[in-house]
Amino acid sequence: MNGAQHILEAFHRHNIQTVFGYPGGCIMPLYDALVDDVRVEHVLCRHEQGCALAADGYARASGRLGVCIATSGPGATNLITGVANAHRDSIPMLVITGQVPSGLIGTDAFQEIDVLGMTLGIVKHSYLVESADELPIILEEALELAQSGRPGPVWIDIPKDVLLAETAVAQINTSAQPKTACPDLTSATALLRAARKPLLYSGGGISLAHAEDSFREFAECSALPAVVTLKGIGNPGKHSTHNLGMLGMHGSRAANRAVDECDLMLVIGARLDDRATGKLDGFAPNARLIHIDADAAEINKLRHAELAVRGDLNTILGELTRGLRETSLEINDWRKQCQTWRATGGFQAADNEEPLAPITGPAFIRQLSRIAPDDTIIACDVGQHQMWVAQHYEFDHPRHHLTSGGLGTMGFGLPAAIGAQFANRQSTVINVTGDGSFMMNAQELATVRRYNLPLKLIIMDNQCLGMVRQQQELFYNNRESQIDLDDNPDFVAMARAFDIPALKIERTDQVRRGIETILAFNGPMLLHVAIAREENVWPIVKPGGSNKDMINEPRRPAADKKEKVA
Amino acid sequence: MTPKSSSNAPSYTITCRMNHEAAALERLCQVVRIRGFRIAKMAVESVLEGADQTLNIALTIQGVRPVAMLQSQLEKLHTVAEVKLAAPVLTHGASRIA
Repeated sequence: MNGAQHILEAFHRHNIQTVFGYPGGCIMPLYDALVDDVRVEHVLCRHEQGCALAADGYARASGRLGVCIATSGPGATNLITGVANAHRDSIPMLVITGQVPSGLIGTDAFQEIDVLGMTLGIVKHSYLVESADELPIILEEALELAQSGRPGPVWIDIPKDVLLAETAVAQINTSAQPKTACPDLTSATALLRAARKPLLYSGGGISLAHAEDSFREFAECSALPAVVTLKGIGNPGKHSTHNLGMLGMHGSRAANRAVDECDLMLVIGARLDDRATGKLDGFAPNARLIHIDADAAEINKLRHAELAVRGDLNTILGELTRGLRETSLEINDWRKQCQTWRATGGFQAADNEEPLAPITGPAFIRQLSRIAPDDTIIACDVGQHQMWVAQHYEFDHPRHHLTSGGLGTMGFGLPAAIGAQFANRQSTVINVTGDGSFMMNAQELATVRRYNLPLKLIIMDNQCLGMVRQQQELFYNNRESQIDLDDNPDFVAMARAFDIPALKIERTDQVRRGIETILAFNGPMLLHVAIAREENVWPIVKPGGSNKDMINEPRRPAADKKEKVA
Repeated sequence: MTPKSSSNAPSYTITCRMNHEAAALERLCQVVRIRGFRIAKMAVESVLEGADQTLNIALTIQGVRPVAMLQSQLEKLHTVAEVKLAAPVLTHGASRIA
């Protein structure tokens, strides 16, 4: 068995059935081995960045490991954005790249680049395999490492000669990890009981720990007012009456107000990211903090925790629920206050009743949320549409909301949707994107067509880089710089060139029928939604500002801008 | 952006034991840099521990950020077996650990 075949054996051992890749010179031995393998489905994307982001989307939607493969040199460098994206959001991923033969490393050989060196900062760990004998052990270690503790991408760079070298079948010990004991939570429970205004603050760590059910049970049992980060959206479910929604830069007034007023914050699976906290000095000024996380390095990183609990979130949440089940928290006044804020300070977007009116982003997303099936997976890109989805789409599970949180990668949405569709073949998967983001990985329309994926694409087209334009308007004296995209291609014609049917809508009275048409179509379909250029995302906190200084102004009349341009 | 570590920033000594793998030192140095510290002095020794090559590293570093944060980031590295602060410094009030 050669090195390449060892890789496939590791895939079989770990039930890895779908991988995303692109062949090339130094990875050819692996692609040669794939010819004879019927158990691994290889998805050929059209760019290595698409491979990495598809593997990322596959992992987010399924909770399983994402795998991507590329060749040396440009194959590897093209992966980098996708792997960095996974790293910033702690997505479990295995990355395999071919490298020039061992003897040529360091000679500036054709398609040689120092992959190990240039990727150190974007991986949980990485390996340059130096001999075929160590490959099986490295594969096993990498697979375990990518998925354990705080997950992340692990990169294995394999010289071509190692892929070709014959080596003995190694005995692999795949014994399950022992279950860790639950930390003592007496102090946490006591702090919660002593608090008058406790607040539950959760993030993407809940899903990374596969702890959605435990969290939902805890949220229901404790009836704590709750806020979520961008990656925590979907927890604890859309029917939770205590959920105040997303906090932070584009969070709800209710969520930011509760953070400002609470006296205890129970942070679970969140890293207190700056987009969520705003200016740290003004963040939760009255709150003591209990921080529960799988990663010890997140404790005290940005905010002092009075009590830190590190461990498996499933176990910890189960124990916390047991601790609160006997006697409920006496915080009714606080709950009522939060309910009032929720009623008056949630995300507001009046549905436009005027049939000929232009389509607005928030109203469109609300309509989409009402029409799409409950188990729909939305893969966003980055920009205004991403925030409108976060604010106005009602998610019932965090794995239904795929978004590039940490890195903010434009171009994430389409390949992530492809990955999600491979992970959930029967689910409705929709890529909600902007005209800027869509063009960053539009080549993956060919992948959609090749595999006849039934996913739906919605381009919210405002003919500009809307989020940049908005910040230039608000924080740079309206000095617009390099944001115009009014020379976009005809997206409908473009989709049709890939043999994907498409339609365009521009008016409010076309929204429902447009959404229903693409959802009913048996196959991939694109909906081009023209929206106003001047639409902004509200509310907004000035970058670096405090959340309590949220700005919520009515948008300026669209005509103003037109007149200036004219 | 990593804050600049001026010459009058606090100085710490860290010792670290890690596997001698490809890019081991680069990995360590990169974490030190990105987390806001500058290496003022570094001594490295490769030793054989059983069948494994291990690196024993002594670092003198400067930086204005809490050094405990750097320690916890270094401890996260898969190949790092141990990180010790020569003079532990408590920069926050200490958290109770459950």
